[in-house]
Amino acid sequence: MKAALIGAGQIARQHLACLKTLPGVELAAICDLSPATAEAAAERYGISAWFTDHRAMLEKARPDVVHVTTPPNSHFRLAMDALDAGAHVIVEKPATSTLEELETLARRAKEVGRHLVEDYNYLFNQAPQEILRHIESGQFGAVTHVEVLIGLDILGPGGFADPNSPHPALTLSGGAIADFLPHLASLAHLFVGPQRTAKTVWTKRKPSLLPFDEFHGVVNAERGTAALGFSASSQPDAFWLRVYGERMQATANLFETRLTFDGPRNVPKPLRPFFSGLEEGKAIRRAALATLLRKFKGPGAYEGLWELLARTYRALAEKSVLPVTVSDVLEVNRMVEALKPTEQRP
Amino acid sequence: MRALVTGANGFLGRHVVSALLARGMDVRAMVRPATGLEAIGWPSSVEIFRADLRTSRELPRAFERVDVLIHLAAVVSGGEDAQFAGTVVGTERLLDAMASSTCRRLVLCSSFSVYDYSSTDRTLDEGSPLHRVPDVYSLSGYSIAKWWQERVTRRFVEKQGWDLTVLRPGFIWGRDHGYLAALGLQLGRHHLVIGPLTRIPMTHVENCADVFALAAVDPRARGQTLNVVDGPGERIWKYLSDYMSGSGEPGWRLPIPYWLASAAVRLAFVTVFRRATKVPAILTPRKFDAMLKPLRFENRRLRETLGWTPPLDYTQCLARTYGPVPPPAEAPVPWRSGTAAST
Repeated sequence: MKAALIGAGQIARQHLACLKTLPGVELAAICDLSPATAEAAAERYGISAWFTDHRAMLEKARPDVVHVTTPPNSHFRLAMDALDAGAHVIVEKPATSTLEELETLARRAKEVGRHLVEDYNYLFNQAPQEILRHIESGQFGAVTHVEVLIGLDILGPGGFADPNSPHPALTLSGGAIADFLPHLASLAHLFVGPQRTAKTVWTKRKPSLLPFDEFHGVVNAERGTAALGFSASSQPDAFWLRVYGERMQATANLFETRLTFDGPRNVPKPLRPFFSGLEEGKAIRRAALATLLRKFKGPGAYEGLWELLARTYRALAEKSVLPVTVSDVLEVNRMVEALKPTEQRP
Repeated sequence: MRALVTGANGFLGRHVVSALLARGMDVRAMVRPATGLEAIGWPSSVEIFRADLRTSRELPRAFERVDVLIHLAAVVSGGEDAQFAGTVVGTERLLDAMASSTCRRLVLCSSFSVYDYSSTDRTLDEGSPLHRVPDVYSLSGYSIAKWWQERVTRRFVEKQGWDLTVLRPGFIWGRDHGYLAALGLQLGRHHLVIGPLTRIPMTHVENCADVFALAAVDPRARGQTLNVVDGPGERIWKYLSDYMSGSGEPGWRLPIPYWLASAAVRLAFVTVFRRATKVPAILTPRKFDAMLKPLRFENRRLRETLGWTPPLDYTQCLARTYGPVPPPAEAPVPWRSGTAAST
């Protein structure tokens, strides 16, 4: 299967490093507006052809799958061109700037019989997958509620708040936080399904270029509720996922490998917290070591992206159901749309 | 004669602007949009041009009536991609703009980091081998970006027929920049000194700036690639001692022979870290060599080509780095305008 990629920036590195390891996948071409960036990526990952014009690439390389890893405002146009050229599209989140664009893309994908995948990498990290296994085995009980909270300092001068070069995400509704909404919404969607209604609070705690630096929302979904949040002020950096079931609860930090479960145990009720604490401590110590070791090798917190790509390419080869379907993408983006702020400033 | 200086408010750039002014040149200083310039104290004759090389659409205007570009701008912090975007893509966009102007002369600030230390024995000079594909991609983000920056520049020069001087400074030091990566490992206030007798390829920022100003005006610099070091360099042990007493940061220095550290790093690399993809720089043999390999460094080609000797000797450099801050009027090396400071 021939893969090509448009936009050889930071996240592209994870896509390319993963694709190099997948059996039956040929990295056929790469495209970037900067010739040096395209050529450097081609040299580094052994890609036979590089381009600065994506249409020329689509025509000459005829890829089966196109990864779109450019800034979000360009996704729609590039993904449309890739679908029109007969390729499946794997697009970085956020897939498009607006829901209308996404619905147009999904329609076109259906018309041309191709798949459209948005990168919900954190769904495929080990912790959410392990929680899913507990749910599917029945021991967790039905999920009643899920909490997802990202605390990440994005106010530093180098990234979203670069005063010299406005970050492309700042043009999205919600600004830099909009870049994280697909993570929050996709995790909520995974555990409690499509949203019915949502209420949000968008605020700004610190002076910066960002329109908002704090977001909290509550979602009423088909199978339960979700509390989603993003804080640029809460430290240290963490990505907390907490899933509440009728019999068990799970807590994970997706920036690390920490995952703990708490549930029923065969001890007198007063002793349950004691044994739960011991077991939780053991799991946290083990995760601390695993988090340290994974700094030396592999994708780190991007493990889910590697898993998602591996499963996607396998499903494409076997013509089976993809791990992220077009209807998943539409449902997640409807939730994202409901979470967006109504005003552009607090 | 008007020079456009990118990275003009950087550590080296500020001194290059002063050195160019001292030679009587007109200077257009390119700085990023959000840069505060109050503390720099440039005279009003310095024309400020605000632009970010990564995104500005105004770059062609920066070259209006410019005779020589002195390209110092590089991103030295952040991740590998941020450094590549800032340094390499920025250079592509800058030289694209230059191609639409009448300016045909440029002086590029490259770096010793383009040399392949691992394949160099005894003396490192302009003829030493450079990194090659694909090995270059195992280096630090800084080295990859500087290597690519020189590659991109040479391609433009070849296509456009411009006059190019590539200057490759060693470690640039000076006030607030006394600590160098060549010094080994810093553990709190204490130092593991790997190869204490190794000499550091170093140039004081004011000496280095003198070379840039000279190269901008001296026709003998055209077409040349020149390493910039003040001389054979101080030994790590001595330089660190001067750094610790100058900066008032007392601590212990533990000497470790280079061969012992090198053997330990190589052994660790082939056993523990063989398949690791993310290893601290000092534990990667190629990066370890680039920081610490004991080689001889010389500036013979610089001396012979431009007749340059450093205006400041080591003792004067120490005084300017760690001594009291001189009043602004005395801050630049005191050349008389129009004369070569180094002859």
